Amino acid sequence: MQVTLKIFRYNPEVDKTFHYETYTLEAEETDRILDLLEKVKGYHDGALSFRRSCAHGVCGSDAMRINGRNMLACKALVRDVGNRITVEPLLGLKVVKDLIVDMEPFFDNYKKILPYFINDSPLPADGRERLQSPEQRARFDETTKCILCAACTTSCPSFWASDQYYGPAALVTAHRFIFDSRDEAAAERMHIIAETDGLARCHTAYNCTLACPREIPITKAIGELKMATITGKVE
Amino acid sequence: MTTTKPRTLPLSKRGLNFEMLMWIFTRLSALAMYALILIAIIGALIMGARTQMNMADVLRWGFMPNSSHVQSTNVPDLAPWASPFWKVTAGLLLFVAVAHGVHGLVVISDDYIVSARGRNIARIISIIMVISFSLMGLYIIWTS
Repeated sequence: MQVTLKIFRYNPEVDKTFHYETYTLEAEETDRILDLLEKVKGYHDGALSFRRSCAHGVCGSDAMRINGRNMLACKALVRDVGNRITVEPLLGLKVVKDLIVDMEPFFDNYKKILPYFINDSPLPADGRERLQSPEQRARFDETTKCILCAACTTSCPSFWASDQYYGPAALVTAHRFIFDSRDEAAAERMHIIAETDGLARCHTAYNCTLACPREIPITKAIGELKMATITGKVE
Repeated sequence: MTTTKPRTLPLSKRGLNFEMLMWIFTRLSALAMYALILIAIIGALIMGARTQMNMADVLRWGFMPNSSHVQSTNVPDLAPWASPFWKVTAGLLLFVAVAHGVHGLVVISDDYIVSARGRNIARIISIIMVISFSLMGLYIIWTS
């Protein structure tokens, strides 16, 4: 089948503003959008720039807007998006070149919530692992799946308005540690996410949940954080 | 052995700052507005609105139970509609609605104002708005 691929192009060294370029390609309906981008880069225009790494939906490098929705180019198939495809960079982050955006504001927000395990208690008697029950592990299972692709954060209207907002990805990571029975910094993280640019800026638009390629129920996780500020229950 | 430490944070460690309290207030105030409007509408029906007022007038009263809102209806005696109970109800509704609405404006302004100084100014203006709107409204409610 033939597909029409319209790609957002912007080269800061040449272009004053962005433009779109359209390519007509032969494709299978099981081809991924990433395959099409590789084809354009390999056979039509080697200057086309986009991020990709594992190409199997795990590294989170190739999040972009495909027909207006945030997706991973390596997971979106032609049959899912149709034969007229528009590919654009993520919204809310500065475009560096073509489909590459500056991820720094995203990672700056991510770092604010202390995205690492904190436990200063002495090791258990056997000197090995801090065990937890399957139920305790299941409590934050879904939020461990985040791959930091930024599809959620860049689909959020609150983040579009101001990149100071921590964004769904950072809050998902906060959830992952706050509800981990082994972590001891829940109170510290709760204070951080209660700041002006934290939890209260989530207006439950649900865009993040729809955008997440890992199908994490993000709005639910943020809701659980909001409830935790009221009840104090982090288990 | 698995961790068995209590996992409920004390009140002081939940991050319940002004921002989060206002977030909670905004949710609860919306529910309070529904409750107060319902009380006003039920009260109006008990006081005879079913035969003396049309639906538009009942709703007008429901959204602000002030006796001036029933002056142009067929209600024969305004006294029950101007009782202290209704003045207090109207005052509560006014305060809850003003605080809820102005906080909504602050939240929207936070989308566009990101500097700490700018946000402080927006918050000071919002507090002035809540106080002045509430005082003006209370004056009207209490003198009508």
